[in-house]
Amino acid sequence: MNLKYFNYVTSLIAIFSVVSAVYIYAHYEGQIAGMHSTISNLQNEVANLRTQLYKYRNLTLVDDHGYVLNLTSYPERIVSLAPSNTEILFAVQAGGKVVGVTNQCNYPHNFSAWIKAGNLTSVGDYWTPNIEAIVALKPDLIFAAFAQDEVVNILRGLGYKVLVLAPDNVDDILKNILLVGRATDRDVEAAILVNNLRRRIDAVVSKVSGVTSKPKVYYEVWYDPIWSVGSEGWENELLVKAGGINVFADQEINYFEASSEAIIQRNPDIIILPLGHGTGPPFWGSFDQVKARPGWDAIKAVQNDRLYTIDADIMSRPGPRIVDALEILAKIIHPELF
Amino acid sequence: MVDERDLTGKNGVETAYFRRFSRWKLLLIILMAALMLTIFLSLNVGFAQIPFHTVLWILVKRVPFLGSLVGSPNVSYVEETIIMQIRMPRVLAGALVGAALAAAGVVYQGIFKNPMADSYILGVSAGAAVGASLAIVLGIGFTFFGLSTVPIAAFASSIIAVFVVYNISRVGSRVPVTTLLLSGIAVSIFLSAIVAVLQVVAGGKLHVIVFWLMGGFSYVEWRDVWAVLPLVCFGTVATYFFARDLNILSLGEETAQHLGVDVEKVKKLLLILGSLVTAAAVSISGLIGFVGLIIPHITRILIGPDHRILLPTSTIIGSTFLVICDAVARVIVSPVELPVGVITALSGGPFFIYLLRKKKESYTV
Repeated sequence: MNLKYFNYVTSLIAIFSVVSAVYIYAHYEGQIAGMHSTISNLQNEVANLRTQLYKYRNLTLVDDHGYVLNLTSYPERIVSLAPSNTEILFAVQAGGKVVGVTNQCNYPHNFSAWIKAGNLTSVGDYWTPNIEAIVALKPDLIFAAFAQDEVVNILRGLGYKVLVLAPDNVDDILKNILLVGRATDRDVEAAILVNNLRRRIDAVVSKVSGVTSKPKVYYEVWYDPIWSVGSEGWENELLVKAGGINVFADQEINYFEASSEAIIQRNPDIIILPLGHGTGPPFWGSFDQVKARPGWDAIKAVQNDRLYTIDADIMSRPGPRIVDALEILAKIIHPELF
Repeated sequence: MVDERDLTGKNGVETAYFRRFSRWKLLLIILMAALMLTIFLSLNVGFAQIPFHTVLWILVKRVPFLGSLVGSPNVSYVEETIIMQIRMPRVLAGALVGAALAAAGVVYQGIFKNPMADSYILGVSAGAAVGASLAIVLGIGFTFFGLSTVPIAAFASSIIAVFVVYNISRVGSRVPVTTLLLSGIAVSIFLSAIVAVLQVVAGGKLHVIVFWLMGGFSYVEWRDVWAVLPLVCFGTVATYFFARDLNILSLGEETAQHLGVDVEKVKKLLLILGSLVTAAAVSISGLIGFVGLIIPHITRILIGPDHRILLPTSTIIGSTFLVICDAVARVIVSPVELPVGVITALSGGPFFIYLLRKKKESYTV
């Protein structure tokens, strides 16, 4: 083999291959770039279409106070002014859009830690939300609750969109979950959640429907002075649905100051005491202290040692966890069925 | 009114009077400037961190001529809302309420010649508390000619309370101050009991009443400021025209009568003015204790008992004091706000005791 031209030919081949590689690369690079731009064009197109579609959002929502809110956008910065509202928002998977909560919000996450870490902002206490803190968050939707009329009026006066969730009964609570779902573009999640909750409620109700005896229940909201629940409000409804009778069902009010005498006279079969008003020991002390209250040894519940506790948060917050409360109450009131 | 200069005619007294008068003018100008500065500085205080120059821009923008000179700096809508719609009305409300309570306090202490008298002595606070609690419990509508029902109910019922107290103590055309004082206390206690009853039946709205009773400016709006501004301004300015009468009244009602003061008429007019400004103040702020009691005393210790200077200085100092207290109340545990009454008592109490100890030998109302 004549190796005279070997170096020459290999160099030619090398040069040729480098040139062609460069040529091919440049050619396809152009095409790839073209493809990239096509994709991003398409993405823009989709985004445009979405915003076009979003533009046509025209949702009319009515809150618990009969206020009609016209929602024409998809809220991205939501402020919750009550623990129950926060629980609903997170339950319908809209928690990612929540930018402000109250100091009392503690479920489903440890929000005080989030606030300390700077991932969320506190707007003050549930009973006195800080207007300035709310406005500073630039919210596009605010969920308020009971007895916040002043704040709600001011915020609406400033042009903010506010929905008040102040339900009277379990049905209202479920409706509110759907309302929150609609407002936050989480219709499906809310519908699935409410279906599930309804199924669980029905299960409890049908289970206790056959019982012949309905125990009388006393539910304590606060001690010294004693506060209990009347027939207005969902606590009474939960006791009834769980197959019991609220000893103060004749009081047409939600919460009221009851007398020790009245409780002894109404002689409940079961006493239910709340847990979790802040940290530390419960305000009512211990079961022994409750039993030792003057004259309470005459109460059947004390004689038969039927004192129970329930997490006050799940019982008193009009959110999805009231169904947990219902199941716990049913187990307390009718242990033979569950 | 007889001018002092005509009575003395002596050159020395005359120059002394003018010297004192110009000193008073200077004092008032300084205090006024301090109030303005306090108002401006307290606009910078709050939950949202808004830079000093932004606050300045927002304010300057609103001044005619000056506004067009500075052009349109870049201020966000939220910052403007916070300063102009949230902080401004509450700061001004603080200034108005402080002025009203302090002025009424001076007037009542002057009429009753009693160091325990304050702006709430005639049952204004208890009356307002009943009205507000009732409006909260019944939840009547929520607005009434653009104003919320709570302040209107508070104002109306406090005026009714004062009217009742006044008529209980009236003997013919005379109103003996001791009877007035006692019936004011009795009616207040009675009305406080009604408030307690309303609290018991309030159910879930209990906390709204409790916070109203503690007083504060958290939810003050412009319309509240506009509603009380004319009453408070007119009332406090009008009391100033009775400063000389109050001076003479301090010698005793009988002496004052002999010196040519129509004691009953002056007393009646002053009671009306004092009640009106206090009722207006209380209707938007709730019950803020201490200002109407201690500010007049502090001013009296610092400046002296002459009502011609005591009234205006006490008004301005009360105003400044409450603006500062409100600023402290809204940042000390932010975003939670403390009731202003807590701050007024915590800060003013020790200072007053200090002054009292220092001056105790020479101090009388």
